[in-house]
Amino acid sequence: MIHYTPLSESDIYPIDEAAYTNRKCVNYEGKTVFVEKNTNGEYQLVQLLSTDPQDYLNEKFTPGTIIP
Amino acid sequence: MEKDTEKKDGQEQEQGEEQQSPSSIVQKIQALGQTNIPQAPDSNIHVLSIIGQIEGHIQLPPQNKTTKYEHILPQLIAIEQNPKIEGVILLLNTVGGDVEAGLALSEMIASLSKPTVSIVLGGGHSIGVPIAVSTNYSFIVPTATMTIHPVRLTGLVISVPQTFEYLDKMQERVINFVVNHSHIKEEKFKDLMFAKGNLTRDIGTNVVGEDAVEYGLIDEVGGVKEAMTKLNELINEGKGNEQQEVIQ
Repeated sequence: MIHYTPLSESDIYPIDEAAYTNRKCVNYEGKTVFVEKNTNGEYQLVQLLSTDPQDYLNEKFTPGTIIP
Repeated sequence: MEKDTEKKDGQEQEQGEEQQSPSSIVQKIQALGQTNIPQAPDSNIHVLSIIGQIEGHIQLPPQNKTTKYEHILPQLIAIEQNPKIEGVILLLNTVGGDVEAGLALSEMIASLSKPTVSIVLGGGHSIGVPIAVSTNYSFIVPTATMTIHPVRLTGLVISVPQTFEYLDKMQERVINFVVNHSHIKEEKFKDLMFAKGNLTRDIGTNVVGEDAVEYGLIDEVGGVKEAMTKLNELINEGKGNEQQEVIQ
Protein backbone atom coordinates (compact mmCIF):
# COMPACT_ATOMS: atom_id res chain seq x y z
CA MET A 1 0.00 0.00 0.00
CA ILE A 2 1.35 3.42 -0.93
CA HIS A 3 0.34 6.59 0.86
CA TYR A 4 0.76 10.02 -0.67
CA THR A 5 -0.09 12.39 2.15
CA PRO A 6 1.24 15.37 4.09
CA LEU A 7 0.33 13.60 7.33
CA SER A 8 3.13 12.19 9.43
CA GLU A 9 3.48 8.46 9.81
CA SER A 10 2.42 8.62 13.44
CA ASP A 11 -0.86 10.32 12.48
CA ILE A 12 -1.81 7.37 10.29
CA TYR A 13 -0.39 4.47 12.26
CA PRO A 14 -1.01 4.85 15.98
CA ILE A 15 2.08 4.35 18.14
CA ASP A 16 2.09 1.42 20.52
CA GLU A 17 1.11 2.63 23.97
CA ALA A 18 4.00 0.67 25.49
CA ALA A 19 6.45 2.94 23.72
CA TYR A 20 5.12 5.86 25.77
CA THR A 21 4.80 4.03 29.07
CA ASN A 22 8.38 2.73 28.87
CA ARG A 23 9.75 6.25 28.86
CA LYS A 24 9.53 8.40 31.94
CA CYS A 25 10.69 11.81 33.05
CA VAL A 26 12.25 11.57 36.51
CA ASN A 27 14.30 13.64 38.89
CA TYR A 28 17.67 11.98 39.40
CA GLU A 29 20.14 13.61 41.80
CA GLY A 30 18.44 16.97 41.35
CA LYS A 31 18.47 16.92 37.57
CA THR A 32 15.57 16.18 35.26
CA VAL A 33 16.29 13.16 33.09
CA PHE A 34 14.40 10.94 30.70
CA VAL A 35 14.70 7.26 31.43
CA GLU A 36 13.60 4.22 29.50
CA LYS A 37 12.81 0.84 30.98
CA ASN A 38 14.89 -1.77 29.21
CA THR A 39 14.12 -5.45 28.80
CA ASN A 40 15.77 -6.34 32.12
CA GLY A 41 13.42 -3.98 33.96
CA GLU A 42 16.23 -1.51 34.69
CA TYR A 43 15.95 2.19 33.95
CA GLN A 44 18.41 3.46 31.42
CA LEU A 45 19.12 7.17 31.02
CA VAL A 46 18.07 8.46 27.60
CA GLN A 47 18.29 12.23 27.81
CA LEU A 48 19.43 14.83 30.29
CA LEU A 49 17.49 18.06 30.49
CA SER A 50 19.74 20.73 31.91
CA THR A 51 21.15 24.07 30.90
CA ASP A 52 24.36 23.67 32.87
CA PRO A 53 27.07 22.60 30.43
CA GLN A 54 28.97 20.97 33.32
CA ASP A 55 26.15 18.47 33.83
CA TYR A 56 26.85 17.08 30.39
CA LEU A 57 30.40 16.34 31.48
CA ASN A 58 29.20 14.53 34.59
CA GLU A 59 29.68 10.80 34.19
CA LYS A 60 26.50 10.09 36.12
CA PHE A 61 24.37 11.65 33.41
CA THR A 62 25.88 10.12 30.29
CA PRO A 63 23.20 8.56 28.07
CA GLY A 64 23.01 4.81 28.44
CA THR A 65 23.78 4.83 32.16
CA ILE A 66 21.73 2.40 34.20
CA ILE A 67 20.08 4.27 37.04
CA PRO A 68 20.27 2.30 40.29
CA MET B 1 6.21 -1.21 55.47
CA GLU B 2 8.58 1.67 55.91
CA LYS B 3 11.29 -0.61 57.11
CA ASP B 4 10.80 -2.78 54.06
CA THR B 5 11.23 0.10 51.67
CA GLU B 6 14.28 1.25 53.56
CA LYS B 7 15.76 -2.20 53.24
CA LYS B 8 15.04 -2.22 49.55
CA ASP B 9 16.64 1.18 49.11
CA GLY B 10 19.69 -0.03 50.97
CA GLN B 11 19.98 -3.06 48.75
CA GLU B 12 19.59 -0.98 45.66
CA GLN B 13 22.29 1.37 46.85
CA GLU B 14 24.61 -1.51 47.46
CA GLN B 15 23.93 -2.80 43.99
CA GLY B 16 24.56 0.68 42.65
CA GLU B 17 27.94 0.79 44.35
CA GLU B 18 28.87 -2.58 42.94
CA GLN B 19 27.99 -1.40 39.47
CA GLN B 20 30.32 1.56 39.82
CA SER B 21 33.54 -0.41 39.37
CA PRO B 22 34.30 -2.44 36.23
CA SER B 23 30.83 -2.58 34.70
CA SER B 24 30.44 1.21 34.76
CA ILE B 25 33.47 1.50 32.49
CA VAL B 26 31.95 -1.06 30.14
CA GLN B 27 28.71 0.91 30.12
CA LYS B 28 30.54 4.11 29.38
CA ILE B 29 32.29 2.53 26.42
CA GLN B 30 28.98 1.17 25.17
CA ALA B 31 27.27 4.54 25.48
CA LEU B 32 29.93 6.97 24.35
CA GLY B 33 32.72 4.89 22.86
CA GLN B 34 35.22 6.30 25.34
CA THR B 35 36.06 5.93 29.00
CA ASN B 36 36.71 9.39 30.37
CA ILE B 37 35.36 12.78 29.54
CA PRO B 38 37.10 16.11 30.11
CA GLN B 39 36.40 18.02 33.32
CA ALA B 40 36.24 21.78 33.46
CA PRO B 41 35.68 24.46 36.11
CA ASP B 42 32.18 25.90 36.78
CA SER B 43 30.76 27.95 33.97
CA ASN B 44 28.92 31.26 34.18
CA ILE B 45 27.34 30.57 30.79
CA HIS B 46 24.47 28.16 30.40
CA VAL B 47 23.56 26.27 27.26
CA LEU B 48 20.08 25.70 25.97
CA SER B 49 19.92 23.20 23.16
CA ILE B 50 16.93 23.35 20.85
CA ILE B 51 17.51 20.09 19.02
CA GLY B 52 14.94 18.01 17.17
CA GLN B 53 11.29 18.85 16.79
CA ILE B 54 9.62 21.54 18.88
CA GLU B 55 7.00 19.55 20.75
CA GLY B 56 3.69 21.21 21.55
CA HIS B 57 0.63 19.97 23.38
CA ILE B 58 0.60 16.64 21.62
CA GLN B 59 3.36 14.30 22.69
CA LEU B 60 5.34 13.05 19.73
CA PRO B 61 6.30 9.39 19.47
CA PRO B 62 9.35 8.49 21.59
CA GLN B 63 11.56 7.75 18.57
CA ASN B 64 11.44 11.45 17.63
CA LYS B 65 14.07 13.76 19.06
CA THR B 66 12.12 16.56 20.66
CA THR B 67 12.63 19.83 22.45
CA LYS B 68 10.37 19.59 25.47
CA TYR B 69 9.21 23.15 25.99
CA GLU B 70 7.45 22.42 29.27
CA HIS B 71 10.92 21.65 30.66
CA ILE B 72 12.72 24.47 28.93
CA LEU B 73 10.41 27.27 30.09
CA PRO B 74 11.06 26.66 33.82
CA GLN B 75 14.77 26.33 33.05
CA LEU B 76 14.69 29.83 31.57
CA ILE B 77 13.10 31.15 34.75
CA ALA B 78 15.85 29.45 36.75
CA ILE B 79 18.47 31.05 34.52
CA GLU B 80 16.92 34.49 35.04
CA GLN B 81 16.84 33.98 38.79
CA ASN B 82 20.29 32.50 39.32
CA PRO B 83 22.84 35.27 39.92
CA LYS B 84 25.74 32.93 39.05
CA ILE B 85 24.54 32.62 35.46
CA GLU B 86 25.66 35.60 33.44
CA GLY B 87 24.78 34.56 29.92
CA VAL B 88 22.93 32.02 27.84
CA ILE B 89 23.97 30.42 24.60
CA LEU B 90 21.36 28.81 22.40
CA LEU B 91 22.23 25.89 20.14
CA LEU B 92 19.73 25.37 17.35
CA ASN B 93 19.36 22.39 15.10
CA THR B 94 15.67 21.98 14.58
CA VAL B 95 13.25 21.06 11.83
CA GLY B 96 10.53 23.20 13.36
CA GLY B 97 7.35 22.04 14.99
CA ASP B 98 4.52 23.46 17.05
CA VAL B 99 4.05 27.17 16.32
CA GLU B 100 2.70 28.17 19.72
CA ALA B 101 5.37 26.25 21.62
CA GLY B 102 8.03 27.82 19.40
CA LEU B 103 6.66 31.30 19.90
CA ALA B 104 6.43 30.72 23.66
CA LEU B 105 10.12 29.78 23.71
CA SER B 106 11.06 32.76 21.54
CA GLU B 107 9.20 35.23 23.74
CA MET B 108 10.76 33.79 26.88
CA ILE B 109 14.26 34.05 25.44
CA ALA B 110 13.63 37.56 24.08
CA SER B 111 12.45 38.79 27.48
CA LEU B 112 15.42 37.44 29.48
CA SER B 113 17.43 40.23 31.10
CA LYS B 114 20.70 38.32 30.70
CA PRO B 115 22.71 38.44 27.47
CA THR B 116 21.76 35.72 25.00
CA VAL B 117 23.49 34.51 21.84
CA SER B 118 22.29 31.86 19.41
CA ILE B 119 24.12 29.65 16.94
CA VAL B 120 22.21 27.99 14.12
CA LEU B 121 23.90 24.68 13.30
CA GLY B 122 22.71 22.40 10.55
CA GLY B 123 19.17 23.66 10.36
CA GLY B 124 16.92 26.19 11.96
CA HIS B 125 13.79 25.66 9.95
CA SER B 126 10.25 26.99 10.21
CA ILE B 127 9.60 27.90 13.84
CA GLY B 128 13.36 27.67 14.45
CA VAL B 129 13.64 31.06 12.71
CA PRO B 130 11.87 33.11 15.44
CA ILE B 131 13.81 31.20 18.11
CA ALA B 132 17.11 32.01 16.37
CA VAL B 133 16.35 35.73 16.13
CA SER B 134 14.95 36.01 19.67
CA THR B 135 18.44 36.33 21.19
CA ASN B 136 20.43 39.56 21.58
CA TYR B 137 22.82 38.46 18.88
CA SER B 138 22.55 35.58 16.44
CA PHE B 139 25.11 33.52 14.57
CA ILE B 140 24.80 31.01 11.78
CA VAL B 141 27.47 28.58 10.63
CA PRO B 142 28.20 28.82 6.90
CA THR B 143 26.70 25.40 6.15
CA ALA B 144 23.49 25.84 8.13
CA THR B 145 20.16 26.48 6.44
CA MET B 146 16.88 28.02 7.49
CA THR B 147 13.67 27.22 5.65
CA ILE B 148 11.14 30.02 5.64
CA HIS B 149 7.68 28.90 4.60
CA PRO B 150 4.03 29.58 5.45
CA VAL B 151 2.45 27.99 8.52
CA ARG B 152 1.00 24.55 7.95
CA LEU B 153 -1.56 22.43 9.70
CA THR B 154 -1.99 18.69 9.87
CA GLY B 155 -4.74 16.65 11.44
CA LEU B 156 -8.42 17.45 11.70
CA VAL B 157 -9.32 20.78 10.09
CA ILE B 158 -12.76 22.36 9.94
CA SER B 159 -13.11 23.64 6.40
CA VAL B 160 -14.58 27.05 7.04
CA PRO B 161 -13.11 30.44 6.07
CA GLN B 162 -12.48 31.13 9.77
CA THR B 163 -9.87 28.36 9.84
CA PHE B 164 -7.95 30.19 7.15
CA GLU B 165 -8.20 33.45 9.08
CA TYR B 166 -6.95 31.71 12.19
CA LEU B 167 -3.97 30.33 10.27
CA ASP B 168 -3.34 33.72 8.70
CA LYS B 169 -3.28 35.40 12.11
CA MET B 170 -0.92 32.78 13.46
CA GLN B 171 1.37 33.45 10.52
CA GLU B 172 1.14 37.18 11.15
CA ARG B 173 2.37 36.61 14.72
CA VAL B 174 5.39 34.70 13.46
CA ILE B 175 6.20 37.37 10.86
CA ASN B 176 5.82 40.19 13.39
CA PHE B 177 8.09 38.49 15.88
CA VAL B 178 10.83 37.89 13.31
CA VAL B 179 10.60 41.43 11.91
CA ASN B 180 10.71 42.97 15.40
CA HIS B 181 13.71 40.93 16.55
CA SER B 182 15.92 40.97 13.46
CA HIS B 183 17.00 43.45 10.80
CA ILE B 184 14.96 41.91 8.02
CA LYS B 185 12.23 44.03 6.41
CA GLU B 186 8.69 42.70 6.53
CA GLU B 187 8.33 42.74 2.74
CA LYS B 188 11.57 40.86 2.28
CA PHE B 189 10.57 38.21 4.80
CA LYS B 190 7.17 37.78 3.16
CA ASP B 191 8.83 37.59 -0.27
CA LEU B 192 11.02 34.75 1.00
CA MET B 193 8.07 33.05 2.66
CA PHE B 194 5.85 33.04 -0.40
CA ALA B 195 8.53 32.58 -3.06
CA LYS B 196 7.87 29.99 -5.73
CA GLY B 197 10.38 27.73 -7.41
CA ASN B 198 12.94 27.64 -4.58
CA LEU B 199 11.62 24.53 -2.91
CA THR B 200 10.76 22.64 -6.10
CA ARG B 201 6.97 22.78 -6.09
CA ASP B 202 6.56 24.07 -2.59
CA ILE B 203 6.20 27.66 -1.41
CA GLY B 204 9.05 29.21 0.58
CA THR B 205 12.81 29.66 0.52
CA ASN B 206 15.71 27.71 1.91
CA VAL B 207 18.17 30.33 3.16
CA VAL B 208 21.80 29.23 3.57
CA GLY B 209 24.23 30.70 6.15
CA GLU B 210 25.65 33.77 4.42
CA ASP B 211 22.37 34.62 2.67
CA ALA B 212 20.60 34.72 6.04
CA VAL B 213 23.09 37.40 7.14
CA GLU B 214 22.69 39.28 3.86
CA TYR B 215 18.90 39.43 4.28
CA GLY B 216 19.36 40.75 7.81
CA LEU B 217 17.72 37.73 9.38
CA ILE B 218 20.83 36.68 11.31
CA ASP B 219 23.49 39.07 12.61
CA GLU B 220 26.70 37.27 11.66
CA VAL B 221 28.22 34.15 10.16
CA GLY B 222 30.23 32.33 12.80
CA GLY B 223 30.59 29.38 15.08
CA VAL B 224 31.33 28.62 18.72
CA LYS B 225 34.39 30.88 19.00
CA GLU B 226 32.62 33.96 17.63
CA ALA B 227 29.53 33.27 19.71
CA MET B 228 31.50 32.91 22.95
CA THR B 229 33.49 36.08 22.25
CA LYS B 230 30.29 38.01 21.57
CA LEU B 231 28.56 36.65 24.66
CA ASN B 232 31.50 37.60 26.90
CA GLU B 233 31.49 41.04 25.32
CA LEU B 234 27.77 41.44 26.07
CA ILE B 235 28.29 40.22 29.65
CA ASN B 236 31.08 42.75 30.20
CA GLU B 237 28.95 45.54 28.71
CA GLY B 238 26.15 44.65 31.12
CA LYS B 239 28.57 44.69 34.06
CA GLY B 240 29.89 48.11 33.03
CA ASN B 241 26.37 49.56 32.97
CA GLU B 242 25.58 48.12 36.38
CA GLN B 243 28.65 49.72 37.95
CA GLN B 244 27.77 53.11 36.48
CA GLU B 245 24.28 52.85 37.92
CA VAL B 246 25.73 52.14 41.37
CA ILE B 247 27.99 55.20 41.21
CA GLN B 248 25.12 57.46 40.27
